[in-house]
Amino acid sequence: MGSEQIAPTAPTDRRSRSQQTAPPGAAQWLADRISAAGELLTGRPVSLYAASVLRVGYGLLYLVFLLREFPHRDEIWGPGSPWTPSLARQLFDQTGWNSILTLSDSRAYFELCYVMALVTSALFALGWRTRVMSILFAVVVTSFHARAIFMTDGGDNLLLLMAIYLVLTACGRRWSLDARRDRLKTARAGNAPQPVRSRSAQQLRDARITLTTVLHNCGMFVIAAQVIFLYGSTGLYKVQGASWGSGTALHYVLNLELFQPWPALSHLVDEHTILIAIAGYMTVLLQVAFPFVLFGRLKYPVLAMLLSMHIGIAVLLGLPLFSGAMIVADAVFLPDRFYTFLPHLFRRAAQRTGVWRSTPGRAAGPGSVPWQGRPGVLSSTHRATPAVAVRKDTTPAAGLASDQN
Amino acid sequence: MRKTGWAVPSGIEPADVKELQHSDSGPATKECPDDVRTPVRRSRGARLLKAGLRTAVVLCMATTLVHVLLVFLHVAPSNTVSKRYSSLVNAWVYPFFEQNWRLFAPDPESVNRKILARTAHTEAGGSVKVSAWFDLTAEDNSAVEHNAFPSHTAQNLLRRAWTSYVDSHGGDDKARTERALMMQRYLSNIAADRVAAHNSGTFDFIQLRVVTLPIAASGTAVGNHPPTSAENRLLPWWKVTPHGK
Repeated sequence: MGSEQIAPTAPTDRRSRSQQTAPPGAAQWLADRISAAGELLTGRPVSLYAASVLRVGYGLLYLVFLLREFPHRDEIWGPGSPWTPSLARQLFDQTGWNSILTLSDSRAYFELCYVMALVTSALFALGWRTRVMSILFAVVVTSFHARAIFMTDGGDNLLLLMAIYLVLTACGRRWSLDARRDRLKTARAGNAPQPVRSRSAQQLRDARITLTTVLHNCGMFVIAAQVIFLYGSTGLYKVQGASWGSGTALHYVLNLELFQPWPALSHLVDEHTILIAIAGYMTVLLQVAFPFVLFGRLKYPVLAMLLSMHIGIAVLLGLPLFSGAMIVADAVFLPDRFYTFLPHLFRRAAQRTGVWRSTPGRAAGPGSVPWQGRPGVLSSTHRATPAVAVRKDTTPAAGLASDQN
Repeated sequence: MRKTGWAVPSGIEPADVKELQHSDSGPATKECPDDVRTPVRRSRGARLLKAGLRTAVVLCMATTLVHVLLVFLHVAPSNTVSKRYSSLVNAWVYPFFEQNWRLFAPDPESVNRKILARTAHTEAGGSVKVSAWFDLTAEDNSAVEHNAFPSHTAQNLLRRAWTSYVDSHGGDDKARTERALMMQRYLSNIAADRVAAHNSGTFDFIQLRVVTLPIAASGTAVGNHPPTSAENRLLPWWKVTPHGK
């Protein structure tokens, strides 16, 4: 429906726009925008590299977190926690959370869950059977988060949200074991004839591809919106704070004893009052400005400044997990061409230093953003046609009906 | 309206849905000349599939927009819109999408809290033996110091247990809600576990004391620890399951 209005006669005369009668130019423009947005949404999965960076980043981050808390695992998530399993269950009844960890109070069961969480995080980061692993990863993160909900901070919160959103995305198409397997399979089956698919199988397959594309794009949109909301809201709240306005906020932050892994360093920084004030203002300005700079080139310096800010937080305040989660989240705003350019950059740098002997062929990745579909789809299309042709006469009525739509 | 050629999905991703948006233009047409050449009628199953797919796509988009909107209302400062639709926002956001990005906002905390605990044990004769104060926070601070990756047990466990306790209790220590009782149990468990791990004495009661030390305003000489109005909150004795036996 409505396809006629969007006929490809794009440049209508400009005068109509200045007239007060219903401007067809504007309607045309709007329709073009809408169809372009629809095309963007359903056409191809966007930012596959960024999605993969998020997968690797959060998978590794959670793995490191679990390993770091290995000595404290029972205290945080186990049956021996001061937040006892029965307290946790009581809270779940009130809040609607749930966790696999409270299914049993046995220590052995907990250790099993812990090992499973380690394996899941590692496999998720590697991108092995990514869709299944992403669901398992989300279950693991949700379960561990819910079990120790009074021990979490902003970093855990962000990681939880991202773990849930990543289930929607096709985050295993780049830099993953899945991608490697697909590449090897296509290379092996290069000349062999593709199996002829029945028409309905082909249709189902196409529908599935469209659906995964739409899900992925929606997921990436939600992730981007989530990060924007994070920065925007924290910036807006800070603007209301008197200490951020007076430039002394960071003085108080630096004097919180629980966030002072290097007291001498904190005190050293704290002595520079002017620096503290400037850094405080920069923090607020960066956060408030964040949503507005994302659509231009200005985003690169802003992202670089945010990166240094988070590294500063990681070191000075002893919050590497939180900072890591934020840095990975920022990576969602870097385009595919940035990530495809990275290997070139590395290779050039390596060649210059002479560490890397040139390995032609295998390492030569796609220079530009490659075709984003699953490998092998295009070639199977043409082979599927004969099967379609054979079956076309069997359903005449349906064909007529569809013409009248 | 639509070309019958489109009855055959091309196997190229955008084909099906492109039709929803605009059927005539786009690269997909060019990519599948074979299919266009042989117009095929659609089976009922194919139409059903197409309708289902269309519904799913629309549903995805609608859910995405609703989600983004409601999360926005959840994180934005409380305003007329979010107040009006608060029940809807809460129903959608809780529990999994709950978020709070106010760690150092609107203002960072300007106090350091010191949480201490002491225990009591009723002797066989009926006399009560009370231990000395044990500084739980000092233990956390020393665990954080010179540690590039401090544990959640040091940075978050006691800190958040206390803020949650205050949130559920307010100024006094009378537990009026179920949540307040839970937080009290949590806090006493933490203290009891820590004390028991530290000294071997037996005890069946525990008491907490929370000292709030304001951070001196900027410009004050470092090291000059000002005893400016340190607030001292003594909590009641709580009975705990006997430890250390």
